[in-house]
Amino acid sequence: MLKIWSMKQKQQQAENAQTGKKKKVTAAQLRVQKDLSELSLGSTMRTEFPNPDDILNFTLTIEPDEGMYKGGRFHFSFAINQNFPHDPPKVKCTQKIYHPNIDMEGNICLNILREDWKPVLNLNAVIVGLQFLFLEPNASDPLNKEAAEDLKTNREGFKRNVRSSMGGGSVKGQTFERVLK
Amino acid sequence: MEMDGADPNGVPGEVDRKRWTYLDRILNRPGPFTDEEWVPGEPNIESLERMKILVIGAGGLGCEILKNLALSGFKDIHVIDMDTIDVSNLNRQFLFRQADVGRPKAEVAAQFVEKRVRGVKITPFCGKIQDKDEDYYMQFGMVICGLDSIEARRWINATLVGMVDNDDADTLKPLIDGGTEGFKGQARHCIEWAHIIAWEEERKDDTLDTDDPEHITWLYQKALARANEFNIPGVTYSMTQGVVKNIIPAIASTNAIVAAACCNEAFKIVTSTNPPLGFPGTNNYMMYTGDDSVYTYTFEHSKKDDCPVCGNLAKNLEVDPNMTLEEFIASLAEKPEAQLKKPTLRTEEKSLYYQSPPSLEEQTRPNLKKKFSELVSDGEQLAVSDPAFQIVFKFKLVFKK
Amino acid sequence: MEEPLTETTPPILQDDEKRGRNMTDNFASGLLAASRPRGSSCIGQFTILDSAEVTEADLGVNFFLEPDDVGKFRAERTCALLEELNPDVQGHCNTEPVEYFLTQSSDTHPLRPFTHILVIAPIVPELLADIVSHCLTTSKPLFYIHCVGFYSDFSVQLPSAFPIVDTHPDPTATTDLRLLTPWPALSALVEEKTRDLDSMNAHEHGHVPYVLIILHFLEVWKETHDGQVPSNYREKSDFKELVRKGMRTNNPEGGEENFEEAIAAVLKSLNPSTPSSAVKEVFEAEECKNLTHDSPHFWVIAHAISEFYKAHNALPLPGSIPDMKAQSADYIQLQNVYKTKAREDVAEVTATVRELAKQHGHLTQVDEKEIEAFCKNAAHIKLVRGRPINPAFPGQKLKWGQRAKAAVSALTKPDSLILVHIAFLAYDEFCASHDADALAGAPRAPGSEDSEVEFDAEKMTGIANTIIDNLINEAGTRIEEPDYSDIGVRVAQYVQEIVRAGGGGELHNIAALTGGMIAQEVIKVVTKQYVPVDNTCVFDGVGSRTEVLRLGADSVL
Repeated sequence: MLKIWSMKQKQQQAENAQTGKKKKVTAAQLRVQKDLSELSLGSTMRTEFPNPDDILNFTLTIEPDEGMYKGGRFHFSFAINQNFPHDPPKVKCTQKIYHPNIDMEGNICLNILREDWKPVLNLNAVIVGLQFLFLEPNASDPLNKEAAEDLKTNREGFKRNVRSSMGGGSVKGQTFERVLK
Repeated sequence: MEMDGADPNGVPGEVDRKRWTYLDRILNRPGPFTDEEWVPGEPNIESLERMKILVIGAGGLGCEILKNLALSGFKDIHVIDMDTIDVSNLNRQFLFRQADVGRPKAEVAAQFVEKRVRGVKITPFCGKIQDKDEDYYMQFGMVICGLDSIEARRWINATLVGMVDNDDADTLKPLIDGGTEGFKGQARHCIEWAHIIAWEEERKDDTLDTDDPEHITWLYQKALARANEFNIPGVTYSMTQGVVKNIIPAIASTNAIVAAACCNEAFKIVTSTNPPLGFPGTNNYMMYTGDDSVYTYTFEHSKKDDCPVCGNLAKNLEVDPNMTLEEFIASLAEKPEAQLKKPTLRTEEKSLYYQSPPSLEEQTRPNLKKKFSELVSDGEQLAVSDPAFQIVFKFKLVFKK
Repeated sequence: MEEPLTETTPPILQDDEKRGRNMTDNFASGLLAASRPRGSSCIGQFTILDSAEVTEADLGVNFFLEPDDVGKFRAERTCALLEELNPDVQGHCNTEPVEYFLTQSSDTHPLRPFTHILVIAPIVPELLADIVSHCLTTSKPLFYIHCVGFYSDFSVQLPSAFPIVDTHPDPTATTDLRLLTPWPALSALVEEKTRDLDSMNAHEHGHVPYVLIILHFLEVWKETHDGQVPSNYREKSDFKELVRKGMRTNNPEGGEENFEEAIAAVLKSLNPSTPSSAVKEVFEAEECKNLTHDSPHFWVIAHAISEFYKAHNALPLPGSIPDMKAQSADYIQLQNVYKTKAREDVAEVTATVRELAKQHGHLTQVDEKEIEAFCKNAAHIKLVRGRPINPAFPGQKLKWGQRAKAAVSALTKPDSLILVHIAFLAYDEFCASHDADALAGAPRAPGSEDSEVEFDAEKMTGIANTIIDNLINEAGTRIEEPDYSDIGVRVAQYVQEIVRAGGGGELHNIAALTGGMIAQEVIKVVTKQYVPVDNTCVFDGVGSRTEVLRLGADSVL
């Protein structure tokens, strides 16, 4: 086994030596390229690439068309490292929003971005997960404990808080960013 | 369960390595063709026992392969097959009995071999190869294929080649492929490692009438079309002839021959007890035909230089630097072996053209009108993906002078 | 009673199991029906002769033994597990030591009940010689098999005349259209179908069968070539042009498929049909020329066909035509012209066969079907002349006879596997001169003990070199340096690899592969279909390749 491999490497090195070292498309790039072609964004999501040549860093915008967060426009940054898909993409919400699963720094509590990430999952699975957070905020595993408490104990109050925060108002002393379209 | 086979009351079972007396002689003694650096003994036994090997298919070939691997000292064998046992399988697939009809092939085959060869672990998976992802295939050190479907063979080949990461030795999975059906096996021309194929009949029940012109023409044209489709190098008249003959009377014995040849290669690769087929620059393909005496042809079946499936090994691709990206994309769609109809392309530095998502498409669209020379430099690597293919093809761009 | 016998001496080989299994499969699938001996209703039995008891080591090579079988008779257990595979096949076993079995006093030879015999090395050379001569005198096929480590070989001893009618030739090579010698009915059809070629409508013109197109233009050609047909490449190329000119191109396709077919067929169809050397060999055989009252049917028919050939300068017409662009009705008409002629030829041969039967007082009537099958494949019949297997007695020179020169020329080919075969001959001699124990019964194979590997290899290499020297001497030639030294180096390597396997140890894969090949050969011999190995096949599991060598002695005496 090892022997085949070392022969293979020698062959590869010989080829490189012949042609001079040219940069190769990385494994992460290859995988992201494949994942991007499989994204289904629909009408409620879009991507934006600050530098189109760098597909490992981009933003995703979600505009929920139903649920409590309807009418909002939410931005997420995606930062993918060279160890992707072995490491999950790093995803953050770039706005300060009132959501039980997103904290004030924009960290997101989504299982497939952490403990349940598997290399077989693709970027589409991640964006579907994000979309779902706005349709079904989840009180059982909170990052914003107060919001989670509101959601658990007073669903109507929670809805009002969501609306007010989306308009740039403050909830319990915290001022939130205006995210309405 | 018994530690001492000499115990007259004990069940004679696995006693040390007495069962492997003959195998161990090969593992413990160097031969005239073993590599000078080869270390006899324990390391070879360990390699065999540690090697996690996947057998694809538990049909006629697969049953033979499982049995052979178990008796070659492999201990951790996995088998994947989606079929259940049919009455018609009983004559050739010798691990199955009447009472097994209706049960999954992988499961029955695994149980049977485990029972006969104590100490071997065979893990069955009853399902399609496509049900499993790269992670599943990544766990194996080697894959032996005994499939009858060309689609499945292509899929597994592309998947394994697609997994190869040149910086990680563990991602390279030697594939040994046994085939017993005519020209179809030829499509696997781009696999790097050992291929073994035998000419064989498909018409066990339906007797081929050599005077039935329709039947023969059908076979002949099928073979020709196949050869053309894959632009197979070295297809000579006599090879085509061999396929059309295609009439060895004993399917079971042909399976035995092909499976044993495959497993012999697997054994050599894992133990290095003798040089296997498949080192670069050596033979990697063996063909067997038995209708007129016995004839084998063992040769180096070289990778096609522009084989898109071996994309991970970055095939050279000659391009005119004055060509626009748009023109290049049009030319990809015409490449018969690839047929990339909706390609997305990039180099390490640049996103050349993305079909999706829409924002990226819009941003990269202006590149379509640009010349190659403006976008990339000579010798750069190009990655091409297409929704029709599971893998991403890699090319090394060579500018036409 | 019809019983193939699997005869073994220790250690039992994987081959037994494979062979048994594969044979049973085929017995069950009815492939043997065609060759079922007359008057016999029982077929599909095998007997394993092996006196050894199952050891742990056997479990490592033989899949048809279970862990609980250790200590039981190997023949019995393997037989039982093989029988499980196919209820229609009867397995038997005999646990007598082979030397007792063969030397039992009886009026008839102990092997008499068996039809096919397979012997697995090592075996005492005297016993092998006895089996060889029994098989020779009774015209029984015999297989002698070695399988050690990464190498195997097997020799097939067929009867001195083993004719095959059903050789399953390559279908593309069997088309025999007789375009250079059309018979009246065919010429009449050509005339009828091509008379109005020029005035045909597009559909008709594009559907004239290509056979008729060629025949039509041959007549045109002959008018300007003194009645001669195109005979060389240039003329055939010119003829192609002539046909091409006849093709209509004023259509959307710019040509006609049937004319294209005709042009493509010119080179291969306009050849005089002369019988192959294999067919001539059959005609020239003593058995063919001098029929007796008990001549086998094959020879009676062969004789009749040789007379047919003398009379017509052609073999009987096979009667089949390839697929071609044509209207169905025309195609069927053409097919019938060929079939009718073929039937007439069969009738003529049949009449000769009946006449010969009267002349020689044949006891059994040759079946019409048999004659028809022979006529149909007359151009592809094959005669294999079996040669006796040569047992290697220690210290005695092997007799290569007529094959000595060919064997020497194989020696000098760097990739020939004849040296593996010679290494196995040396192995036989080694085993025959080394007893496993003081009882002088079982032979000892080289490499049984780690400490003796080098010593045994050296000794065996010495034997191999003597075999090579004797062979070169017998051929009356010499091999110059550096070729001679190179042969010595290579044979020493093969010997080392065999000794490495230790005590004749098998690798399951190699045994399974060899067993598979032998199973196919047994089937070919039993069914008298396809062409069997003539007569020695060597497998090299290091390079994964085979080679067939024609060896064997001129006679057993």
